[in-house]
Amino acid sequence: MTADAIVFEHVHVTYPGAATEALNDICLRVPSGQHLCILGGNGSGKSTLLQLVNVLTIPTAGRAVIHGMDTSDPCRTLAIRSRTASVFQHPEDQMVTSVVADDVAFGPENLCTPQPEIAKRVDAALAAVDMAERSQSDPADLSGGQMQRVAIAGALAMKPEILLLDEPCAMLDAEGRSGVRGIIAELSARGITILHVTHFMEDALAADRVLVLDHGRTAFDGTPSELFSQPKLVESLGLEVPSAWSVSAERSGAAGAHGGAEGHGSPSNQQRAVAATRADSAAEPIDKPSVVFDHVSFSYAKAVNPRKRTRRRRLFGVRGSSDASRSSVPLALDSLSFQARPGTITALIGRTGSGKSTTAELACALKLPTRGTVRIAGIDTADLARRGELRRSVGYVAQLPERQLFAETVYDDVAFGPRNLGVPSDEIDRRVCDSLRSVNLEPTESLLQASPFALSGGQQRSVAIAGVLAMGQPVLVLDEPMAGLDPTGRKHIRRLLKQLKQVGTTLIMVTHSMEDVTELADQVIELDRGRRIDHAEVSRHGTTR
Amino acid sequence: MALRASIGQYYSADSPIHRLDPRVKLLGTVVFMVSCFFVSSLPTLLLAALAVGGAVACSHVPARRLLSQVRPIALFLVVTSLINLFFVQSGEVALSMGPLHIHWSGVHAAVLYTARFFLLLLAGSLLTLTTTPVALTDAAEYLLAPLERVGVPVRQGTLVLSIALRFVPTLSQEAEHIVAAQTARGADLENKGALAYARACVPLIVPLFASALRHAENLGRAMDARCYTGGERTHYHVMRLVARRDAPAIAALALYLAALIAFSMR
Repeated sequence: MTADAIVFEHVHVTYPGAATEALNDICLRVPSGQHLCILGGNGSGKSTLLQLVNVLTIPTAGRAVIHGMDTSDPCRTLAIRSRTASVFQHPEDQMVTSVVADDVAFGPENLCTPQPEIAKRVDAALAAVDMAERSQSDPADLSGGQMQRVAIAGALAMKPEILLLDEPCAMLDAEGRSGVRGIIAELSARGITILHVTHFMEDALAADRVLVLDHGRTAFDGTPSELFSQPKLVESLGLEVPSAWSVSAERSGAAGAHGGAEGHGSPSNQQRAVAATRADSAAEPIDKPSVVFDHVSFSYAKAVNPRKRTRRRRLFGVRGSSDASRSSVPLALDSLSFQARPGTITALIGRTGSGKSTTAELACALKLPTRGTVRIAGIDTADLARRGELRRSVGYVAQLPERQLFAETVYDDVAFGPRNLGVPSDEIDRRVCDSLRSVNLEPTESLLQASPFALSGGQQRSVAIAGVLAMGQPVLVLDEPMAGLDPTGRKHIRRLLKQLKQVGTTLIMVTHSMEDVTELADQVIELDRGRRIDHAEVSRHGTTR
Repeated sequence: MALRASIGQYYSADSPIHRLDPRVKLLGTVVFMVSCFFVSSLPTLLLAALAVGGAVACSHVPARRLLSQVRPIALFLVVTSLINLFFVQSGEVALSMGPLHIHWSGVHAAVLYTARFFLLLLAGSLLTLTTTPVALTDAAEYLLAPLERVGVPVRQGTLVLSIALRFVPTLSQEAEHIVAAQTARGADLENKGALAYARACVPLIVPLFASALRHAENLGRAMDARCYTGGERTHYHVMRLVARRDAPAIAALALYLAALIAFSMR
């Protein structure tokens, strides 16, 4: 007979200053050893639920009892935390030291574990996540997936009975995700109680039980198969049926209704806005490639700041005399050639470190090729005399673009790009409103005057993207535009990309998601250690024009 | 990346110097640095150079790696050495070129001051190259522990130091990303007056601050969840003086000090 590890009785949580409750009347019993997956859109209260377990939040009303200890008793806080361990979304924010093994030891040290025992636990935890040989590395040298495994090791070293995972895979590539998933399955088999908050439906398939939250309420509580066999319910909760599930379900003819009800906003209105932001751009004849990579190589060892390079060129009259190849440093990109035409989406895929992001930055003239040429709308990116023209031709949506927000108001932030291009002020008004509408935000006065930092995460992403769209460039480069978004957010971005494509924008997208590739891409470029390994023209609609 | 290289980073290797008790290394380095100020003649300079040279040889740190740590300050050293050479105007004239007179005392000062400062830097770099930040902060914590009694938050201070070292590469990488993103939005930092330049930096500095605050908040949460209270805790690395390992180093340091004093007395 196993006791309940976690008991919530009519738990309510209200954050100070918030109009609505973050959690509303949650009743939950989690038996020891259960693997529970918690799903729900952004702002549904998932993270709050986890924070109740490790006492980072206490209920405003109701009771939360962890292993028989009431969380509202401050004397029990440490006792509860020492039996629960947490792994959060951003791996780099969980590392306290610059040596992997020392970081794993941080938790046990805080628990006053004797030294020989700490050493044993560190070794065992690193072995469990398959990171033993990197024990002396600097976390800054690890990939996101490796760092997240170290964070899990840090949690394991505390010998927890409950493991709380708050979107541990959100920032990882496919390889990192599958590594972390394997470890979660192993830990679950060992009998640790796991609460796993996620936006990935595949994660839910591996769980014993799924809890779906919607605006702070329990919307579903049952097994994964009970949930995914009801596609209507899944859609109404803003979730997706995982592809692994839908393949088997489609055979039995159960699923079928995707895409139909797009829901939110008025697409026609949005479509018009997208078209408006593009009005000045669709001048190029459609069959002429707007992005051309011709045997492009790039090496970080010889990387020169574009500005500095001009100065040197001006001084000595010759272009980079030190360009003779230094073969000791591997090329980040090796002789890559491809073309992209207006009205198409090119997907760049490959593992972390394969050169995807470098390619994206080369396409935006943020880096200049070491060898070969990059032409955007006919302009060589190395031609600094035409730099202004180039900036008007290509836009760049960086990874986690919300991190570049800076202005006091949403209006000023979106207007930053157009102003730098010297767009007249009445034109700026129009562009700001159109670009906000195209990302599904209604440009009301209160939104325009709001601080971008006061918006929710999903809205921040939208505003940041609007800030690039407002520049009206015919070529757009996006670096993982869906990273960290919930299914609803991902759906919005997908629809936006399709509309941009329809009005003739050339899109280049770095992505980790094969689903996005199959749904969106006309051309796929797969990179491995800087080389192109496969080339597939995806022309699902017969003609790509 | 440049920023990262210039801040003392650990060079992983297994050498007698790496294995030393970090307290011995820290204290030994401090003692050596102080002793550099008593180096005032050629024999004592050679003695100090011998001490650093010996330590470097035992440490298995490649000379190039060590020198690259010191390079940022090399220009400063050259400038001070030139100033000494031309502005110390006492004693016999060694060389006369028109209005310029170089005196022997100037040469003496230029060589001696520069060389001993260089040795001092090498010793400091060697310490950070052969000691992990954690070991270093542990050692500092131990050596400064008596100050806790008079209310100095030594333990918290050393943890802050370790976290700061940890986040230097993260923040410098983010700064690069932000610069790239804003450049693509047409931000231009060139050809501007001071005020315009300051204004042009806002789109870079605000996101960087926001990012630092976000890291701080997330890190605080993660540390809370990992039961950090700022109170009593144990240490993964136990510092223990081992006679066979640490005694030769202490003896060598004592020998060096004795020789230094003997030469200075003469």
